[in-house]
Amino acid sequence: MNNNCYTYSIGCLIMALFLSFSCKHKESKYHSLTDKIEEESKDFIGTDISLETLLEEMKLLEIHEEGHAFLIPERKGQLKSYACSECHTKPLASMTSLEIGKKAHWNVKLAHADNLTMNCITCHSESNLDELTSLTGSEIDFDASYKLCSQCHTAQFKDWTGGAHGKKIAGWAPPRASMTCVNCHNPHSPSFDTRWPSRFNTQMEKERKEGLSH
Amino acid sequence: MSENNTKWFSLNLSNSKPKQQASTCGCGNTSGGCGGHQNEIRSSAIGDERHKDGFEQVFDVQMDRRTAFKKLTASLLIGAGAVTTSCSVVADEKSKEKAQIDWEEQFKGNYKLMSDEEKKATVDRLVRSYELRTNKTISMTSENAQENVLFGYAFNISKCQGYMDCVSACVEENNQDRNSEMQYIRIHEMKDGQGLKFDEADDNYYHEVPAEGHFYLGTQCFHCDNPPCVDVCPVQATWREEDGLVVIDYDWCVGCRYCMAACPYDGRRFNWSKPEVPEDEVNKNQHYLGNRMRKKGVMEKCTFCVQRSRKGQNPACVDACPTGARIFGNLLDPNSTIRWVLENKKVFRLKEDLGTEPKFWYFMD
Repeated sequence: MNNNCYTYSIGCLIMALFLSFSCKHKESKYHSLTDKIEEESKDFIGTDISLETLLEEMKLLEIHEEGHAFLIPERKGQLKSYACSECHTKPLASMTSLEIGKKAHWNVKLAHADNLTMNCITCHSESNLDELTSLTGSEIDFDASYKLCSQCHTAQFKDWTGGAHGKKIAGWAPPRASMTCVNCHNPHSPSFDTRWPSRFNTQMEKERKEGLSH
Repeated sequence: MSENNTKWFSLNLSNSKPKQQASTCGCGNTSGGCGGHQNEIRSSAIGDERHKDGFEQVFDVQMDRRTAFKKLTASLLIGAGAVTTSCSVVADEKSKEKAQIDWEEQFKGNYKLMSDEEKKATVDRLVRSYELRTNKTISMTSENAQENVLFGYAFNISKCQGYMDCVSACVEENNQDRNSEMQYIRIHEMKDGQGLKFDEADDNYYHEVPAEGHFYLGTQCFHCDNPPCVDVCPVQATWREEDGLVVIDYDWCVGCRYCMAACPYDGRRFNWSKPEVPEDEVNKNQHYLGNRMRKKGVMEKCTFCVQRSRKGQNPACVDACPTGARIFGNLLDPNSTIRWVLENKKVFRLKEDLGTEPKFWYFMD
């Protein structure tokens, strides 16, 4: 019995020694990756990497939404025939002509929600075509067109400001520059078309037919 | 493998192996990075690697006669080439220089252990060698991981439409072999409402997308924080960098494909034939650990476009995606968009129970 106890305690001692000298993994300092990220980012001081030089040549505007501050591309300079008032000198109603029909914008077909919900003047101001108009009739600048979209698409707007919806410009490093709604979606027909994939892997097909691949 | 039959696979449980218990420390780490190896007396020089660079790695290692003979033969062949060209009066300056480069490249060490000067030297040699062979100039860098950066990726499965623009962009960016049509990314077309069934999914579809009643999920290397592929590499040709990228030294890889077998995500690709890219399609902005030209018989895989990401740019797949389904960023930056996704969307990862800790999350709108 005494002997047993002796062996036992020796065993324990060896075990304790082994444990104290055994490795400490860098990884196992944390229980999980999320713990590690949380812990290591507590004193985040930023990095030396910046996108400033890459973004230098782009015309960007800083916006502050939902507690996030980031850059979006300027829009008015991208619109070929802005300012609209160069043609639209009179209010819309007096410019339409019943005989000829549409005098311009023939290519614009509205495929956005349905007629009950939307028509041209849901977004375009009737009296001042240089500005967009909100649902309550306030003016919205073309550069801030996301404010128009966010009136209905609230969930997408929240995801966009956070960064889960939409694309970033140039890269991941600060300063953050994100594309705005109309950079990816055509506001007159916002949904994405079906199309064919950009590639087909003939080699993979061949290998699978021959049973070469796992 | 361990003797206790656990559900997850683990290579680290060497303390259950009675034979090795006395000699190894059970951390599964052979590089001495755990700290416990320092006091060990080892006959081979593996434990000393930290101090040995370049030529020393090759020459100052105890090896058996067969390995030594093999190395000698290979070196002799190159040496003979070098000698004939350098001593020859007929051979021009260029072929002499080429032989000199080949000689130095043959004896360079593992990139992981190189000093910054050595990294620069090998990159310069590779650039010069490419110039001598093709008369074309490439730019190659050896940028190291930056501090306070840990790369992470998120993929929105409700946004992906299966266009595969990412795959094309990846192939072009990373100079992947055109003959075998290698692609790092796979887009799996899955049926709605049936969960993630990879065996029933199609990753080589060709019809109008998105197909009715299907969703699309992309896979590639997940850059695990606890990568099993790194543990199994017998020559330490693949490792995890400080910024979380799992990379390969193509010149140190022996092509055993252990890593390919160890990867639970089908993230790795092997060059069964000599990879070829038409000269005018070669992406000349390269990184030693990234998209530089590979050779036959070595592994390669997604590196989150190390040549781009270490400059602050997004990987090519992220930039190419027309739907915005791909989010990339610094996990350590609390204000980054990737962090917002992880904290505000319902995210999941593949095979989380394996403990590999992939840094690649999936989420839905």
